[in-house]
Amino acid sequence: MEELESGVAVAEPGQSLQLEAEAEAERPGSAPLPGLHHKLLRLPLSRIKGLMKADPDVSLASQEAVFAIGKATELFVEVIAKDAYTFALQGKRKTIQRKDVDNAVDATDEFAFLEGTLD
Amino acid sequence: MASASGNDDDLTIPRAAINKMIKETLPNVRVANEARELVVSCCTEFIHLISSEANEICNKSEKKTISPEHVIQALESLGFCSYISEVKEVLQECKTVALKRRKASSRLENLGIPEEELLRQQQELFAKARQQQAELAQQEWLQMQQAAQQAQLAASATTNPVNKAGSSQDEDEEDDV
Repeated sequence: MEELESGVAVAEPGQSLQLEAEAEAERPGSAPLPGLHHKLLRLPLSRIKGLMKADPDVSLASQEAVFAIGKATELFVEVIAKDAYTFALQGKRKTIQRKDVDNAVDATDEFAFLEGTLD
Repeated sequence: MASASGNDDDLTIPRAAINKMIKETLPNVRVANEARELVVSCCTEFIHLISSEANEICNKSEKKTISPEHVIQALESLGFCSYISEVKEVLQECKTVALKRRKASSRLENLGIPEEELLRQQQELFAKARQQQAELAQQEWLQMQQAAQQAQLAASATTNPVNKAGSSQDEDEEDDV
């Protein structure tokens, strides 16, 4: 398993980079991910981490793992948005309504876990 | 959208981030607020789902920390295989950037020249600069003096007639420069 090697932590103050905000040392010697000129993720890592921790059973996660989940979540949003749009079009509407999202959830096996959310 | 009560269970992904993503995915499409709210809630559930699964996979692997590999396996087992290649891409970008950054810092730190040598070079440069400055200053001083001499010569020539009383003054001009 490739771990992040500890390197020079060059966090520049004032740089609003999500990745640098997550400078928690999950493992000793792990460095915060370096600054980027463009964001790799739209979602704030800190929030994702917070959501993960809400589950008491969830143990420590590496920064990269949080990052991976973040990316997966972004993809999830893209997919569900597109699916919902398809349903809106079917209904000859230009605005995506809540029911379009409902339908998107119903139509996809992987989204079964969301059934409870729809109420 | 942090909750006022500070209860972790009320955490969600910020609405603005979701809006931005939806907008990028569907540029000219209107989305009802209720629909957006639902997407936000679904994201929360999604994160719980993946973390929970990744956690289980991690527990089985005798590792203590959830790794990106565990996350990828979780995506696979939950039916989100189509997400995996992009997740891997982004993880790779992360590593590349991290590598570049470390290389850049170490390049700055170590030009291959030991510190004493660098100091010595610096002193040399300073000494040279001082010398050049001194030479320049001296030249300027010389020029000033010459200019002053000529000015005085010119002045005495115009103010005094040929058989001037102050001619001795000229002889007193500095010949000894």
